[in-house]
Amino acid sequence: MPLVLCADDDEDILALVALRLERVGYRVARATNGDDALALARELKPDVAVVDVMMPRRSGLDVLRELRAGADTRELPVVLLSARAQDADVERGLAAGANAYLAKPFTARELIATVEGLLPAQSLR
Amino acid sequence: MTTVSLGGAFAAGRRAALPARASALYMAAGAVAIGVYFLVPAAAQDVLYGVIGVSAVAAIYVGGIRGATEERRAWECFAVGLICEVAGDTISSVYELSQGHDPPVPSIADAFYLSGYPLLALGVFLLLRGRGGTTTLPSIIDALTICISSATVQWIFFVEPYFHVQLGNGQRAVSMAYPSLDVLLFAALAQLLLGVGGRRPSYRLLIASVALWVAGDEIYALTAGHYAAGSWVDSFWLASYVAWGGAALALMAEPRPLPVERRTVPRLTRARVVVLSVALLAIPAALLVEQARGRQPHTIAAAIGATLLAVMIMLRMGGLVRVVERARLDERSARHDAELAGRQIEAQNAELRELDRLKDEFLSSVSHELRTPLTSIAGYVELLLEGAKEEERSHLEVVERNASRLLGLVSDLLFAARLQSGRLALDAGAVDLRELAAQAVESARPPADTAGVALTAHLRDVPAVRGESDRLAQLIDNLISNAIKFTGHGGSVDVSVAAAGDVVRVEVADTGIGLSDDDRAHLFERFFRAPGALDRQIPGTGLGLYISKAIVDAHEGRISVGSTPSGGTSFVVELPVA
Repeated sequence: MPLVLCADDDEDILALVALRLERVGYRVARATNGDDALALARELKPDVAVVDVMMPRRSGLDVLRELRAGADTRELPVVLLSARAQDADVERGLAAGANAYLAKPFTARELIATVEGLLPAQSLR
Repeated sequence: MTTVSLGGAFAAGRRAALPARASALYMAAGAVAIGVYFLVPAAAQDVLYGVIGVSAVAAIYVGGIRGATEERRAWECFAVGLICEVAGDTISSVYELSQGHDPPVPSIADAFYLSGYPLLALGVFLLLRGRGGTTTLPSIIDALTICISSATVQWIFFVEPYFHVQLGNGQRAVSMAYPSLDVLLFAALAQLLLGVGGRRPSYRLLIASVALWVAGDEIYALTAGHYAAGSWVDSFWLASYVAWGGAALALMAEPRPLPVERRTVPRLTRARVVVLSVALLAIPAALLVEQARGRQPHTIAAAIGATLLAVMIMLRMGGLVRVVERARLDERSARHDAELAGRQIEAQNAELRELDRLKDEFLSSVSHELRTPLTSIAGYVELLLEGAKEEERSHLEVVERNASRLLGLVSDLLFAARLQSGRLALDAGAVDLRELAAQAVESARPPADTAGVALTAHLRDVPAVRGESDRLAQLIDNLISNAIKFTGHGGSVDVSVAAAGDVVRVEVADTGIGLSDDDRAHLFERFFRAPGALDRQIPGTGLGLYISKAIVDAHEGRISVGSTPSGGTSFVVELPVA
């Protein structure tokens, strides 16, 4: 089963994202701040990361940049999740190397379709 | 002869037509009288002399005192001054007629003559003062310069020589007094020449009369010892009398008010420069004349005069330098103030930019803070809906609908705030409005059904327009949802898209409650809500049409609103073909 790293400082939303992904069969690792997200990404080597942009300690954008800078994590597909959904925010996220940008609020279908689209072919169910 | 003309002048004062000619008539008569003066025997001369003097006083009474009340004091001084002179003349005449020779010096005649001078000079100063002449320091210095210069010259030529003549003390004192008092008339004349009285006939005649008097005195002084009553020198004083009277009569014909100068600092006019230059050159010129005549130069008098003049020049220059200095200081302080104001504006601008940035940040974070809980609400409601029974489902849908409305509101507010700060950058491309409208109609169908509104579409193939697809979709969504909102159960909303020349025309027409003219005027303003909408409690923020118009404007299109035949409202958007 593909492993998805979910990071969001809002635990309700984190739980919702995790629940949605688990229901369709993913394994989920949870982080509630940027530092943890980065550590888990390096340690667990997930197949996809869904990262909230506005997090304490280390923002989603910073996590993304660190991931892109590390040899092991450079190729990790990342979905940025944010309530900041103005054009400029989306552009900034994509410019920082995000594979997808999901604006809050999102539907279950949007979330699952986005994550699925980013999985490497061999890890598909 | 003179008396006749004088009578004419009096009559002229009463008749309206004559004043204009009174002065000319009087002076013509005066000129004839002066001519006659040199033809008649000595006794008649004495009488005529007195008559001319009296006629001048009478003319001053008629023209200057009775007529011109504004300058009454000045003309009274002239009148009294000339009466003193006439009195002196009369006493002299009486002496001559009774004794057969000029009166001794000093005599009572001299007392009258001499007391006339200050009065005449005073009259000139009062007159100039009344016409706006001022007693500022520079004008006083200029007057003193002229006095010092003329006094020095008078001293050198006409006063000091009396020390070297064998005379009694009284005789010497009186002889010296005449040239000394002429200094007053010199000053008066100079002030008149520099003066502010305008250049009307009366003023010119006054200058002439003072000048003639001074000239008579100077010639008398130069020819001292040779003068005898009835000499040609008399013509100067007589002409002065006539000119004085003529000046007063001329005054009657001149328009009121009199010209008044408003300057507080005398301007360095050409006349002023000339008069002051003459005053400054007079002492060296006097010394040269002395030298040429082979006399011992009056070194001490010249030195004192020159020193005093130098003091005057220094004072005057000091004043000028101060004026220039003050102007420079004023300019510097003005420049300083301007710089300060500039810096303040710069600082305020920076502050405003910072405030603007803070506002954007605030809006952005408010929007974020509102969206985050809405994400949880919407997400968990969605989760619950999946396993809900029918009744729960309808309740949860209410929650979902309201969460989504709240979200729309947050988006609109944020969008309006960005429009307010003047930023709506388009990510432009080719857009098919027909397709956008079709999508908008489809997504509006469920709420239209719920509201019991029939939603129809007449969509033709149209050329692409240039614009941002999301924004134009937002625009059409706005117009359709608005139309549904304002159309009651049983009404209809029609959406049409068609090409019209070089624009694509999108129309959303409804059979709803319609708008008054007043509403239409304010429709596209921020937070405007039509009274009809408020009465019917139709929900809304008053931002939809404001945003719609901003989107149309950003696409360089036009949006207009009109009425439909059914009394409803029709919105028309025209966007230029790409």
